[in-house]
Amino acid sequence: MKFRSLKSVIIGATMLAAPSVAYADETCQSPYMPKITGEEEFVYVWTLGKEGIGDESDKLVTVDVRKDSDTYGKVIGSISVGGRNEAHHAGFTADRRYLWAGGLDTNKIFIFDVHSDPGKPTLAKTIDTFVKDTGGAVGPHTFYGLPGRMMISALSNDKDHGGRTALVEYSNEGEYIATHWMPTAEDPRGAKIASDVVDGYGYDVRALIRKNVMLSSSFTGWSNYMMDFGQMLEDAEAMKRFGQTVVQWDLHSRKPKKVMHVPGAPLEIRFAWGPENNYAFTTAALTSKLWLIHADDNNEWHAKEVADIGDPASIPLPVDISISADDTRLWINTFMDGKTRLFDISDPHAPKQIYEKVIADQVNMVSQSWDGERVYFTSSLLAQWDKKGESDDQYLKAYDWDGKDLKLQFELDFYEEGLGRAHIMRFGSGELYGS
Amino acid sequence: MIGWPALNWFVLGFALFLSFGSTALAGDWADAAVARKTEGALGLPKLDHPSDNPPSAEKIRLGRKLFFDRRLSLNRTMSCGMCHIPEQGFGNYELQRAVGLEGRSLRRNAPSLVNVGYYKTLFVDGRETALETQFVSPLIAKNEMANPSIGYVVELVKSLPDYEKKFEAAFGGPATLQRIGQALAGYQRSLIAANSPFDQWKYGGDETALNESAKRGFALFSGKAGCSQCHLVGKEDAVFTDQSFHDTGYGWMREQERQNPPTTQPVEVSPGVVFHMSRKQIDDVSGPALPDLGRYEVTQDPADSWKFRTPSLRNIELTRPYMHDGGFARLKDVLAFYNGGGAPHDRQSQLLRPLGLEKSELADLEAFLKSLTSPDFSKLAEEARVEAPDNW
Repeated sequence: MKFRSLKSVIIGATMLAAPSVAYADETCQSPYMPKITGEEEFVYVWTLGKEGIGDESDKLVTVDVRKDSDTYGKVIGSISVGGRNEAHHAGFTADRRYLWAGGLDTNKIFIFDVHSDPGKPTLAKTIDTFVKDTGGAVGPHTFYGLPGRMMISALSNDKDHGGRTALVEYSNEGEYIATHWMPTAEDPRGAKIASDVVDGYGYDVRALIRKNVMLSSSFTGWSNYMMDFGQMLEDAEAMKRFGQTVVQWDLHSRKPKKVMHVPGAPLEIRFAWGPENNYAFTTAALTSKLWLIHADDNNEWHAKEVADIGDPASIPLPVDISISADDTRLWINTFMDGKTRLFDISDPHAPKQIYEKVIADQVNMVSQSWDGERVYFTSSLLAQWDKKGESDDQYLKAYDWDGKDLKLQFELDFYEEGLGRAHIMRFGSGELYGS
Repeated sequence: MIGWPALNWFVLGFALFLSFGSTALAGDWADAAVARKTEGALGLPKLDHPSDNPPSAEKIRLGRKLFFDRRLSLNRTMSCGMCHIPEQGFGNYELQRAVGLEGRSLRRNAPSLVNVGYYKTLFVDGRETALETQFVSPLIAKNEMANPSIGYVVELVKSLPDYEKKFEAAFGGPATLQRIGQALAGYQRSLIAANSPFDQWKYGGDETALNESAKRGFALFSGKAGCSQCHLVGKEDAVFTDQSFHDTGYGWMREQERQNPPTTQPVEVSPGVVFHMSRKQIDDVSGPALPDLGRYEVTQDPADSWKFRTPSLRNIELTRPYMHDGGFARLKDVLAFYNGGGAPHDRQSQLLRPLGLEKSELADLEAFLKSLTSPDFSKLAEEARVEAPDNW
C-alpha cells in the first residue's frame, strides 16, 4: 500500500526487535517513526495562550534539555501562532520532520518544521479548513504518524458540538484524504457492538501494526471540553455526554470491527512494545479505572478493568499515561490531586501501584525517556478545566527516575515566563537528521 | 396519543438521522416555510410581520444560511445554530446553561426558538423588542460569538462571495446591517410548530385527539392549578404566554443557592455510578458564578428583580431543560416546584400559591403538557439541515 513504505516498516521492526539498546526517546510515539538514539536535546511544549499572560497566544515553546548546555532547563524558543485555539495534542509525522499541533476549539492544525533546526522550529503550514475538509468533524486531537500520512482523531462535530465524531486522514503534505465516522447505533458501519453500548465518540487513536489493529477511545464533545469544569460537574445532563467505548479498527481498511464497553471516558491508549504483548492500556478518567484492552488466543479483542487509580470515589481524574519500553511500568497522572502514580504492569491483568508523588496542585501530561531515566510533567488539562486561582500551577518539570524516586532537575513556571498553559511535550534532537 | 418516551425517541432518532445522514426535502422547503408563516397553523394566531419585512422564500433561505454560518464568529466556531440546535428543539438539551466562544459561560439556558415569532419581547428579560434587531447582541457578546463589532460582521458578510447573489435575490442589493437582521428574522419567524393533539382537540374539534388524562390536565391547567393565568389559552388559539414578567420565586431561590451552595455535589461519572464531590473540589475548578436578576437588569427597578418573561409551553416536552437557567431537567421537577407554591419570598408574585395537587393530578398536568407537542416539529429540523453549516 502507498502509505506503508518499506523504510518505515524496517525502522519500526528494528525498534521493536531491539528493546535492550539504550535508546532515549519518549515511549508514547507511533512505532512507525525513527527514534532518538541518544538523550533528547529539546522538549517542545504545545502551550495554550491565556488572557493577561504574555502575548495571550497559543505557542510552541522549545526547552533546552541538553545537560551540558549553558541553557539547560531554559526556554530557548517560542513561536506564537495567533489566537487561543485550545492547543492540546501534537504528533510527529512518521518521518519525524514535522510536528503537527492541533487546536480543539478553532480546529486549526499548525505544522512545525522541526528538522531544519531542531532547536528552533518554524511554522511551515497552517491547515484552517479542517471542518470543511472533513465534512463536519471538529476538534483535531491525536496526531498519529502513519507512513506518508497523519491519522487524526477528532472529538466533536459542527452540527451540535456534541461527541459524535470521526477519524480523519491527511497526507504529510497537509492534503485532506478521508474521514472515517465513528460507528453509531444508527450506522455501526459493520462493527460488532459488544455490550449494546455505542456512542460514536472519539479521543485517542493508536495502532498495533503486526496485528493490523487500531484502537480509538472516547471522551466528550466541544460543549463539555470547552465548558467551565465546575459548571459541567454540576450539570447532570452534560455529565451524561461522556464516552463509554473503545473501538477496534482494521488498521489497513480503516473499518471499525468491534465496539467495546469502557465506561467513564477512556482517554489515552498505550500499546505495549513487546513483540508478544498483544495488549494496550487505557484509563477511564471519570471512574478512575485502569483498563486492559487485550487479544485472546483467537485474536479476539476484549476490554477488562484491571485496577483502581487512587480512590475512585474522590474522582482523582486520571489523565495522561506513559508506558515504559520494557512494558513493566506505567506512569499515570491524576489531575485533581496533582499526583503521578507508577504502576507495576508486569502482569498486565493485575497491575499494582508501587510509587506516587505529588507534582503540583494539578498535573496533566507525562513523557518519559525510552530508557525510563528521565520523566517530564506539564500542567494544563484544558483551558476551562484547569484549576482556578492559586492552584492554577502552569509548569514544565523535569525529573530523573532512579528506580525508587523522582528527583527534580529543573522546573519552568510558564506563567512567570509569560507563556501560558503548558500542555503536551514532544522530544527533539538534531541527531535524528544526521549532519 | 404517543407516550413521551416513544415520541421523544422517535423525534430524536429521526432528527439525528437527518443530522448525520442525507437530507432530501420534497419541493421547495422555503416556499413551504412562507406558507406556514402567512397561513398560520392550527392553534396559533396568524403571525404579525413587520410592514418593512414581509416574508419571502429568498429571505428565509438567506436567513437559514446566516443562522448556521460558523464563520460569523470571532474564531469561526460559533453560529446561532450551535446553541439553538434544530434536533434539540432549536435549543440545547445537553446543557443546562449555554457555552459560548472559547467556552465562556452564559448564565442562561439556550431557549427554544420554535414559535419565537409570537413573542413581543425577546430574551427572558425582555431587553429586545424585535427579531430584526435581536441578532446583534449574540453576535458581539464576548461570551457568545464575540465579534469585535457589528460593523465588522457586516463587512465580513459582504466579503464572503457565497452571499452576494443571495442578498441580491432577497433584497435586490448587497448585505447591510438591516438586511442581515431582516433575513435572520424571516427565517426564525418561519419556525412555527403547532397543530398538536391539544390543538386538534381544542381548536380542531377532534374529540379523539386527546386522551382523558390530558383532558383532565387541561381542566386543572385552566382551573384549579391556575397555570393559564400566565400561560394564556384563548378561544381561537393559544400562544401560552401573557408576554409579561413574573417573579415565581425561582430566580430568587437560585440566588440563595448561589450564595449558599451545597457542601457536596453528586456527580454521575458513568451511568449508575454516582460520587459526591466536595464543594472545595468543585470550587477549585469553577469560574465565578454570576447572579441573574432578570427584568431588573433592563429596567433597574428593584420591583423587577428576579422577574422573567412567561415562556410559551408549546412543544415543551422537546425543549428541556426548563426554567431560564435550565435548572430543572424534567417536567416533573417543574410541576413539583409550582405545586409547592414556587419559592415564597417578599417579592414573589401573588399569583402563586401552594396548589396541593395530588400525584394523579400532577400526572394529568404532565399528560396535558405533553399533548402540546407538534407533529411538525421534526420538519423544522429537516429544513434546517437542507445544507451543511458553513465553515472555512
